[in-house]
Amino acid sequence: MTATEAVNWLQASALSHAIAKSNHLVIASLQIVHVLGITLLLSSLTLMSLRLWGLLLKEASTSDIVRAGRFLVWLGVTLAIGSGALMFLASPRHYAYNSAFVLKMALLALAIAGEAVLLHAAAVSGPPRVAVRLGAGVTLALWLAVGIAGRAIGFV
Amino acid sequence: MWSLQPLAERLEQSSLGTAIAESRYAFPIIEGTHLLSLAISVGLIFLIDLRLVGVLMRQVPARTVIVHLRPYALTGFVVVFVSGTLLLWSEATSVIASPAWTFKWIFMVLAALNALYFECVLAERPELREDAAILPRSVRYAGIASMSLWTLVIVSGRLIAYLTTWP
Repeated sequence: MTATEAVNWLQASALSHAIAKSNHLVIASLQIVHVLGITLLLSSLTLMSLRLWGLLLKEASTSDIVRAGRFLVWLGVTLAIGSGALMFLASPRHYAYNSAFVLKMALLALAIAGEAVLLHAAAVSGPPRVAVRLGAGVTLALWLAVGIAGRAIGFV
Repeated sequence: MWSLQPLAERLEQSSLGTAIAESRYAFPIIEGTHLLSLAISVGLIFLIDLRLVGVLMRQVPARTVIVHLRPYALTGFVVVFVSGTLLLWSEATSVIASPAWTFKWIFMVLAALNALYFECVLAERPELREDAAILPRSVRYAGIASMSLWTLVIVSGRLIAYLTTWP
């Protein structure tokens, strides 16, 4: 099945019709879950990055803070992707051929991969290595880029 | 709310209001800034609340978590407030007509009162002063109230675009 066929098949699916034809408050609820997921994700990333850079909570070990934030990062990602996937299903053709959406998905894949590597490297005890501190900045910038590309979807 | 209507019309028709509304880029950029900064600021409040409830960073004293995270949350709130004011400026009449906007303010005021009660009354509790890992029930309830109220602020903020008039 080609990508075009896959998009057309999704567009014609019963679930796609159900979401697209549902009350507009269903879409509003999905957007709210999306925002709450982003809230959990960005704030725990901010907490972990600031700690890795030595800007706060130096009384606590980095591994303690990373362990505390890690669960919320993946919970936030799961909520955002789950709600986002349902929004995508409501009109697959509209999103699949939108350049901002395609860019967002590429950035999202990079951000998830980078985050997995970073969290693995940052969970060790002892002061964080320079590469980990730099990695925290790069992944945080990637996640913000995902957000900006997402915001651009409605405007390109 | 109707007494705000003339002011809203003046804001919307002001040069700043029309400039934001008519610019191709201004509105999405300001809206994106509002969303990302509120995610960070409200989320940092959630992290403090989760420490008060006792599910996050239990090995760190609650006072330490508050003192360290609050400045970042408050700095972010300045960006949230400025971007929110600019969004209101450009579409004031439709925003104030929405019941969701009124409820958003009610929830924000309640969240502020809850924070004030925490600062003035609960922060004096001996368990907080002595850096206990598990905090008294009243403090945990204040954390749950804060998380719930800020969630309702986000929910009603998102609904401004959907609930356009009072029933």
